[in-house]
Amino acid sequence: MATLSIDKITKAFGHTTVIPELSLTIEDGEFCVLVGPSGCGKSTLLRIIAGLEPISSGRILVDGVDMSGAEPPERGVAMVFQSYALYPHMDVDRNIGFGLKIARTPAAEIVERVSRAAEKLRLGSYLKRKPRELSGGQRQRVAIGRAMTRKPKLFLLDEPLSNLDAALRVGMRIEIARLKAELASTMVYVTHDQVEAMTLADRIVVMNGGRIEQVGTPLELYHRPANLFVAGFIGSPAMNFLNGKVVASRGTVATVALSMGPTMDIPVERHVEPGDSVTLGIRPEHVELAGEGQPNSHVLKAAIVELLGSDTFIHANEGGESLVIRDSRGRIVRAGDRIGVALPARACHLFNGAGDRISDASEAHAEPVSSRGRVN
Amino acid sequence: MMAPLTRNRIRGVVIHAVLFVVLGFWMIPQVYMLSIGLRTPAQAFDAALFTWPVTFDNFVTVIRDNPLGGIFLNSLIITAATVAIVVAVSSLFAFACAILRLKGSMLLYTTLLTTLMVPLASMVLPLAILLKNFGWVNTYIGLILPYAALGVPFAMVILKAFMEDAPRELFEAARVDGCNAWQTYWHVALPLVRPALVFVTIWQFIVTWNEFFLALIVLTRSEMKTLTIVPMQYSGLYMANPGALFAILTLIALPLILLYVLVQRAFVRGLLAGAVKG
Amino acid sequence: MRAGAAIAAVKRRSASRASTLYLFALPATLLFVVFIAYPILWVAGQSLYSGTTDGRAIFAGFANYKTILGDPTFWIVVRNMVLWGVITIPVQMLIGGLLAYFIERHTHALRGFFRTMFFLPVVTSVSVISLVWVQIYAPYYGIAQEYLKHVGIIMTTSPIGDPKTAIYALIIVNIWQWTGFSMLMYIAGMANLPSEVLDAARIDGARGWRLAVHVIVPMLSPATKSLLLLGVIGTLQTFPIVHLMTGGGPNRASEVFGTFIFKQSFVLGDTASGAALSVIVLVTALVLSLVQIALLGARLSPAGKEQP
Repeated sequence: MATLSIDKITKAFGHTTVIPELSLTIEDGEFCVLVGPSGCGKSTLLRIIAGLEPISSGRILVDGVDMSGAEPPERGVAMVFQSYALYPHMDVDRNIGFGLKIARTPAAEIVERVSRAAEKLRLGSYLKRKPRELSGGQRQRVAIGRAMTRKPKLFLLDEPLSNLDAALRVGMRIEIARLKAELASTMVYVTHDQVEAMTLADRIVVMNGGRIEQVGTPLELYHRPANLFVAGFIGSPAMNFLNGKVVASRGTVATVALSMGPTMDIPVERHVEPGDSVTLGIRPEHVELAGEGQPNSHVLKAAIVELLGSDTFIHANEGGESLVIRDSRGRIVRAGDRIGVALPARACHLFNGAGDRISDASEAHAEPVSSRGRVN
Repeated sequence: MMAPLTRNRIRGVVIHAVLFVVLGFWMIPQVYMLSIGLRTPAQAFDAALFTWPVTFDNFVTVIRDNPLGGIFLNSLIITAATVAIVVAVSSLFAFACAILRLKGSMLLYTTLLTTLMVPLASMVLPLAILLKNFGWVNTYIGLILPYAALGVPFAMVILKAFMEDAPRELFEAARVDGCNAWQTYWHVALPLVRPALVFVTIWQFIVTWNEFFLALIVLTRSEMKTLTIVPMQYSGLYMANPGALFAILTLIALPLILLYVLVQRAFVRGLLAGAVKG
Repeated sequence: MRAGAAIAAVKRRSASRASTLYLFALPATLLFVVFIAYPILWVAGQSLYSGTTDGRAIFAGFANYKTILGDPTFWIVVRNMVLWGVITIPVQMLIGGLLAYFIERHTHALRGFFRTMFFLPVVTSVSVISLVWVQIYAPYYGIAQEYLKHVGIIMTTSPIGDPKTAIYALIIVNIWQWTGFSMLMYIAGMANLPSEVLDAARIDGARGWRLAVHVIVPMLSPATKSLLLLGVIGTLQTFPIVHLMTGGGPNRASEVFGTFIFKQSFVLGDTASGAALSVIVLVTALVLSLVQIALLGARLSPAGKEQP
């Protein structure tokens, strides 16, 4: 267990800056997920934390001790690699115990700790097998076991589920969630999959282009995305973005005319001028299907309808803009139907021309933000 | 029109037959050598590939009369030491280039690589002088170190390529597991490139065992000589007795042939493993 | 305080780590410097001095080179070396390639057997091979003259005893010894061929010889280039077969660089011209190799291990 402080680090490969100045603190016992599209620097950041990648400037502190030039074991990290990186010439037993052996742990203790990890990960009957004789999920568990036995201060996982097929991934995700509760060590988890991020994290760090876009709990990111990037990245299917213009601004409320048609009043916490271009975001699940003539409703033509059983996704187009509507009430809609939709103002997010959030009201007000507090 | 299956089978039989005929011709020198070694003095000068009857007298005589064991031991000591040095030194160097990526190691690598373009013929004179100055004429070390220097570049190329092919994450995992560079080399890098190590070992063994030019110049005292350079003196000794000469030649050629037959599977596997990754 | 000590320890350790890492490269570098680089520099320097009877060296500029180039034997050697390379390399490639093709694509159970048997001459001691071939070529009791009679070739003398044929007779021995090596290189190259490409070619209708000529041969070019490069270097260092079978004779007709250097340096004790010859061989090898690497992209590694 440890607090990790990343203090104004930068990273450049030659003349290419991969991470411009970045600071982040990960609290003791926290499960922190670094998420972002590929090439956003999240894996580089994880490797910097691990001590595999030297930093160009700044400091890495573990429990307040500067570890910037330290080797991984000095930092007390253990890591699960994307490709698992199991030693092909060692059996499961030796793979899991290798770090302990290098640390000159007494043989009896190695045996004991390896068998405890194996038991926890249900690997007991595979201890004498070589990695190539294991399935993907089993290899994954060996990699986790190897990291566990070292009782790390920092437990790092680099896209651990990306090499598994969809069915296994769900199972392993649950297993990792269980592990997180048991291990109670500080964990940093890198993924490009926002579902993994949302389901596992105490706190999510959204990265883009080497920068941190937003740090927050899953529901904070969901309900109060700080900018267009986070808004578009978190949530599936992605948030709808509609272009609009501010036609009037009265203190905390801006009147926005959408190029799709309707005009709406949206509470804002930052000042906007009439004439400013803005982007209005609304999640597909917040768009309401309404009867024609209902207040605030707008009539669109359904272009494509996807029936998933539990949900129905309706794709509609109007004036060069498209809108996805997620309906879970089993309304029967067919392609070509004209449908009335309502955009509840309290579920709308407003972003200015720079992409930053300006709206205030959202469902963040309706639901408590801290519904998923920290573990300890 | 024949059925394709039959046609294939006939083609297979023909190709096998042709290969066996070619192999028959190819093996004539080896068979001839053995055949003369098995002749009685009366048949020794018969211009024929085979004669009858065969006798093992020549083998008994030459083994009894000649210190072949000592010569064999010389070859074995020089070869084994050279192979050990080449494998150790080249794998260390390959690790420095491919895994540690030390500053300047690629320049060194390229420099060492030029050794592969140096014909031994041009090195014999300066090496002979150097070894004389060191007082290493007629010593094991006088052959072992030059052989190692000449052998390292090739082994290094192979091992470096194999190490570069190994997933980098494995070496990072070793770092996370607490290995220093030496532990990573020993516990991870070497086991990972085992097929290449086997290949390099066998190849270096063959090359060193059979090296002639430098051995001829460095080893002049008869008790130091290796198996490769003694046949000359026996060809003088047994001028009038080809049976004995070829018996001894057979004995000299045999150890390496047997060794190769034993290890050829691993040797070819190493070669193919290198190719498959290319 | 704990933090300060930890930082200092970490810094100290990483500094010592960085310097010890160079120990990995040190042994190879030492061997290279002492046994390759230094001798080469020495021989290059020595080639510019002429030895005197009292053992002192006198700077002679390129006089040694002039002497060598004026020696008619040198030009015999050049001719022999050209013949050696021009005949040996393509013939070995052709036979080795054919053997590899038939063994790899048309044998199964006996594949290992054929691979091993054809490679045996490579692992047979070259001095043994030389003496066996002397016997084969021998007049009266050698089997060559005996059996070649039946196909109409009458040999009254040993082919290695005739200045006109000696070099060719030696080349045959060399080809016989090293073809197995070419075969194995091609076998490795063929294992390297992506099976999808071969399948695609077959779907395109290429089979048998067409498949071999239009698909397999071009795709084996990395192995061919390596063999060419190794062949040139191997040619320049030819020594044992010639030394043991003809000694460069008769009347220096089969002299090669190896035997020429050997005679000048160790038989005549003329280290000055021996050194000049060594430099000529070295420079020739480097120039020919670099030209091939630059023009053909040839590799020194076997089997196209590296990307072509």
